[in-house]
Amino acid sequence: MSSHTCILLGAAALLLAGCHPDAPEGSLVLTQTPVGIPPPPSATVLDVRYPPGSRVVLLVPPFRADTVRELSHGLVAAGDPCVSWDGRWVYFAGKGTDEAAWQIYRVNVGGGQPELVTRMPGGAMDPSIAAHGELVFSSPVPKAGRLSTPSEPAALYGQMPGHEPSRLTFGTESAVDSTVLRDGRVLFVTSGARGDGRSPRHLSLFTINNDGTEVTAYACVDGGEDIVRRPRELGDGRIAFLASRSEGPGTVGWAEFVRSSAPFATRSSLFAFHGAGCRSVEPMSGEDVLACIETSAGGGRSMMRNAKVFRVGADAAAIGAPIFDDPQWNSIEATPVAARAEPNGHTSAVMPGAPYGTLLCLNVNDGSEPAADGNPAPAAELRVFASVGSGVRRTLGTVPVDSDGSVIVQLPADVPLGLDTLDAQGHVLRHQPALLWLRPGENRACIGCHEQRNHAPRNIRPLATMHGPAHLTLNGPTTVPHATTP
Amino acid sequence: MKLERIILVASSLALAGAGATVGGFSGLRYHERLRSGLPNLGMVSCVHCHQRGLDTLPWAKPRPHHDAPDGMAVSPDGKTLFIALNDRDEVAEADVASLSVTRRVKVPGGPFGLALDATGRRLFVACRNQDRVAVIDTRDLKELAAISVGIRPTDVAYCLTPAGERLIVPNSGSNDISVLSVSPLLELTRSAGGREPYAVAVSADGGRVYIANRMAIHDQVLSQPASELTVLDPSNGHVLNRVELHSAHLAEGVAEVPARGWVLNSMVRVRNLVPITQVKDGWVMSTGVAISKRDGEVTQVPLDEANAYFSDPSGIVASPDGKRAYVASGGADVVTVLDLDRLGAWLAHAGEAERSDAIENMALSYQYVSARIPTGCNPQHLALSPDGSRLFVAERLDDRVLVVDTASLKPVGRIVLGDGGLADPIRLGERVFTRARYTFQGQFSCRSCHPDGHVDGLSYDFDGAGVGDNLLANRSLCGVAGTEPFKWNGKNPTLQYQDGPRFARVLMRTDEIPQPQLDELATFIKHLPPTRTIPWSRVGQPLTPAEERGRKLFFATQRTDGTPIPVGRQCQTCHRPPLFTDRLLTSVGTQGAQDTSGVFDTPHLIGVGAMAPYLHDGRAKTLEEIWTVYQKDDLHGVSSYWSKQQLNDLVEYLKTI
Repeated sequence: MSSHTCILLGAAALLLAGCHPDAPEGSLVLTQTPVGIPPPPSATVLDVRYPPGSRVVLLVPPFRADTVRELSHGLVAAGDPCVSWDGRWVYFAGKGTDEAAWQIYRVNVGGGQPELVTRMPGGAMDPSIAAHGELVFSSPVPKAGRLSTPSEPAALYGQMPGHEPSRLTFGTESAVDSTVLRDGRVLFVTSGARGDGRSPRHLSLFTINNDGTEVTAYACVDGGEDIVRRPRELGDGRIAFLASRSEGPGTVGWAEFVRSSAPFATRSSLFAFHGAGCRSVEPMSGEDVLACIETSAGGGRSMMRNAKVFRVGADAAAIGAPIFDDPQWNSIEATPVAARAEPNGHTSAVMPGAPYGTLLCLNVNDGSEPAADGNPAPAAELRVFASVGSGVRRTLGTVPVDSDGSVIVQLPADVPLGLDTLDAQGHVLRHQPALLWLRPGENRACIGCHEQRNHAPRNIRPLATMHGPAHLTLNGPTTVPHATTP
Repeated sequence: MKLERIILVASSLALAGAGATVGGFSGLRYHERLRSGLPNLGMVSCVHCHQRGLDTLPWAKPRPHHDAPDGMAVSPDGKTLFIALNDRDEVAEADVASLSVTRRVKVPGGPFGLALDATGRRLFVACRNQDRVAVIDTRDLKELAAISVGIRPTDVAYCLTPAGERLIVPNSGSNDISVLSVSPLLELTRSAGGREPYAVAVSADGGRVYIANRMAIHDQVLSQPASELTVLDPSNGHVLNRVELHSAHLAEGVAEVPARGWVLNSMVRVRNLVPITQVKDGWVMSTGVAISKRDGEVTQVPLDEANAYFSDPSGIVASPDGKRAYVASGGADVVTVLDLDRLGAWLAHAGEAERSDAIENMALSYQYVSARIPTGCNPQHLALSPDGSRLFVAERLDDRVLVVDTASLKPVGRIVLGDGGLADPIRLGERVFTRARYTFQGQFSCRSCHPDGHVDGLSYDFDGAGVGDNLLANRSLCGVAGTEPFKWNGKNPTLQYQDGPRFARVLMRTDEIPQPQLDELATFIKHLPPTRTIPWSRVGQPLTPAEERGRKLFFATQRTDGTPIPVGRQCQTCHRPPLFTDRLLTSVGTQGAQDTSGVFDTPHLIGVGAMAPYLHDGRAKTLEEIWTVYQKDDLHGVSSYWSKQQLNDLVEYLKTI
């Protein structure tokens, strides 16, 4: 072979390597975990979920073990794949070495070397893609078993292509398991005390805009099992998720859903049949879902029961036959590879550098729960406090409540904020823990304290608009305007 | 020597040129100062006074016309559908079985609303553009008779009463309702409606007619608005009831459900008194249906869902058995099917507080909405066959009528009227204007606040640097071409800027409208003609004596006693014809306690008679109030010398602009 031929062949090989052919239609991306591998000591939640040897693969039709192409090669473990809206890229959490932190990688569905996307101290997990290719993820990766009680909570970050990540959530609890809804909001899981007080820890679904504004409870705040994971928006608009009683290692859940039309009133089982456990649910075209469901244990797979991939129709009465099962692996996550409509974007009103946001409460006395001790007195003042780390709470001050219950107050941005309404004697009427934050320049409003979910405000002019806002800072009280009476 | 002469001549010319320039500039500035009355001429240029002629503006030029379906009427045997084609001055007749247009007939004046008599022999046509009602013989489609009614009739209903046949015509432009006898065709009376009477339905027993009034009315700018359901006795036009629909506007549809004793109004529930800090959870507006019972109780229930909205509800019809109602959502391209049994059960079970708050509960509708039927672009009018088996949906901006089998709720086909006008940028712009998908969760469209491009009569507290300090009256888009800059503070130089990044941030809460669609939207808006505020019969006619006196007052340069009026305080200076605006910022002493500035963009006055409320925050309910309540130190024109009669004359003139 002449040197010219060698050069030409080499160049062709390089070109081919650079080309990323699309995956065949109907392909799936799977997470496969090896059988019986214990997680390393000092493991993170991802080490438990994806033990060493776990991999992200492309499964092309017909779905057989020999049609699997590994996408995460070169990594010691990988999982939690997410496909870009154009169907061409797979983002996933991966670990380059045993000692390395988990980070987000991406790889073309056609193959190639995984490309490191994040370099977050403490690692990154739970990738999802918002409008304009923005990667949303959680960081740092919590230690195993401490997802909802970390000393350093995982926050959501957004990272536009070619830009540095920016933090989106500022709560005191971890924000994980993000997914992007078609309306552009980021749906995620975080924890708080149950409204009914039955459990100190309860995971719920919340939303933010993709600039971190308008943090709002979405579903699962009250009732149901305490642990929810992996929310996904289905083709018919329902939100499917996994629910379980605890979050210990090896715990599997079952699939539930809420209707987006009434998410606080419609929590139900997703499937009409009963399975041993569900590991993932993803939307498919139409109203079908793609689910990784555990069936009875198979030979050699007793540590993690046998998870297979199923396509389940919307009205399926039985689980049916799996569309893929590799006896050598547990297939715990599956997602279709297909181009889908990109979610909506959001034009941000955040003003970087602004030290505060503004909160309007239309009527602090408007709540779905009775005041403490059944105290019927209207609120006279609103006390605002901030959580400043390690459970330390700092009171910012109090502001008078107008006679219609309305309040407008400027508060420090990007800080977890809690609220107490006080009667004229200073007794606490209602308490809201530090679940709320305001982004710089954000104007935020609420109907009341513990207001009814999914309610629009009454069309009434709040008296608080008749005077300027109160200002409270982390460094003590500042100006507080007089309240107005009608 | 020669060189010196050249230098001398050149120097002289340069000096003369410089002198002429300085002199000319000084003269120009003197002229501008004199004519504008402004001490500070920073922004003033020649074009502020020397404006383009109206005939050069986009809305004054010929434009393409389209086969958009508006009102419809189904023959008693259900075999024939008549379709009003407002933009074509035509009525189409279609065969329901073959889904084909069989005949078309010219009906001058912009047919908009249709009704048939009980035999189906006579078709009554409300012609919106020329304020008339025509009677058509359905056998040969010949016009039998016609009569003038109030301004901009938008619907017509036929009614057989003990006193004889009646036609009820809501006149949206003159805020009244014409009651006509049919044989002979005479206007018996004209009853006062609410604001913009728009649609009419007849009770099953013929004893009552229900008129939906599209716009809301409020007592003060910060009081809760309400639109009206007017109930008339059709035999004599007597008003039997005026039902208030609180915070409801864009109430464009009305239907009776006799089996339940309900009257249904499609409506938008506005929340204009609440600062627009967010859009989520219907914070700005949501959609619903108002259920008015015979005992006067009104319950508003949502059409929207917690995370999905169905904006601009318009036509509404109820099935003959009273089990279903259908509502067209023009901004969402959807017809919503309401299960009235389930809705009735909810109403029976709900307590008073629940019913009162129902419209705010965005998670309620799943209990009674049984289906959402996707449609073509901008469905507005609906019609149901007499047996209820076929639903006809006017897909207005597709030039088609969708026919739905109500048993399966599946489409059976479409009656094609035109090509959709996809080659016409104005039409494409109207599609952008009416589509809600550019706002978060499809909550509202441009049309939601600007029906027909006009005003909704409300003030909104827009998001700004603070909360609750940016109350602004809605401004009409009709006749807005050439009046830039836009926005009350005059900061938006173009419609694209106004409707692009600014609206995306403060209103839509999504990505900006893409540039091609934004350009189409601006094209559509520029082609919106001014709203006609005088009867069609008076168009092109001389002013009345009162109007003429008012005109002289408007252009007065001195008071009645001969005292000169300063140029800067003459009406004509700021509201300079032909646009009736100098397009400059002016202070007229209206700065409110929450306003950060007292200087506002001078609005144009073309069609001002229909633009209430007035002033930047909508505090003046009427034109009169501008001077009787909110005038300060003669800053808004010198009015202190006017008598009440003169003020009346001025207002009469303003209504003709």
